[in-house]
Amino acid sequence: MDSIDREILNIIQSDFPISTEPYSEVGRKVGLSGDEVLIRVKRLLRDGVIRKVGPFFDAVKMGHKSTLCAVDVPVEKITQIADMIAAYPEITHNYLREGTPNLWFTVIAPTEERIGEILARISEDGGVGPIYNLPAKKMFKVKVDLKIVGA
Amino acid sequence: MGFNTEDIALIRELQRDIYLDSNPLQRVADSLGWSLDRVIDRVKELKAAGVIRRFGAALTPANAGFKTNAMIVWDMEGAEGFSIGEIMASHPRVSHCYIRPSFEGFQFTLYTMTHADSEEELQTIINDLSIKSGLKRYRILRTLKELKKTSPVYFG
Repeated sequence: MDSIDREILNIIQSDFPISTEPYSEVGRKVGLSGDEVLIRVKRLLRDGVIRKVGPFFDAVKMGHKSTLCAVDVPVEKITQIADMIAAYPEITHNYLREGTPNLWFTVIAPTEERIGEILARISEDGGVGPIYNLPAKKMFKVKVDLKIVGA
Repeated sequence: MGFNTEDIALIRELQRDIYLDSNPLQRVADSLGWSLDRVIDRVKELKAAGVIRRFGAALTPANAGFKTNAMIVWDMEGAEGFSIGEIMASHPRVSHCYIRPSFEGFQFTLYTMTHADSEEELQTIINDLSIKSGLKRYRILRTLKELKKTSPVYFG
């Protein structure tokens, strides 16, 4: 990554132009053509620096329920449970973390009933639990826009 | 916000993998049979309404130079949540901040997701947050492995 890559990343994380030719617009800010910006963005995506480009919807405003769940899983069962979790499109994030409980995942579904159903299924089929369901009582910030320094 | 069938069709198209094209919204317009201006205007309205909370690139922190990513959970010790939450959220290296219920054996209720360049920087961030919030009891839950990270699919 060079300084122009970092500049592009800082722009397109929060200020991706909603316009006719977004990459040309970004290019004008960094002194490149739209095609040159697009080539860099494609490379950053291929290298895994960028995970996705597009819209991120607010789950609640989309009428969905979201929650964070925690469960302690013995080391030898992590792969099995991670594979089960991978099969549910409603489960969007899953992380192995330090401490107890060690597995933390987020569920976004149209109803709380559906979330309950998924958790019950994982607990029964996976033989793990209890799964703690921890919906936010208050949300202060969701801003996954990471200012990259050194630009 | 209720969505009519036209919004639902638009939201479906917007979730396609089209953003590595020089004019992605033209592809949306072509699929829907709308004018490009109509697509642009409606996307801007959805963004202004917060239905689209962000439009752009999401990074994988570990690949973007943030080597130490950790969820720090704080014991609020009965403190007033709102001001402390706001203080934590205002830190630039905190990407997510929530209050969640406590559970058996886990008295930590304030969750902050932090992204640091190094272990030293993580410690600096934690010290900052502790001093500013007045909270002393916390646990560091470093990310050991990202097992899944996707986006939800709406109206799939």
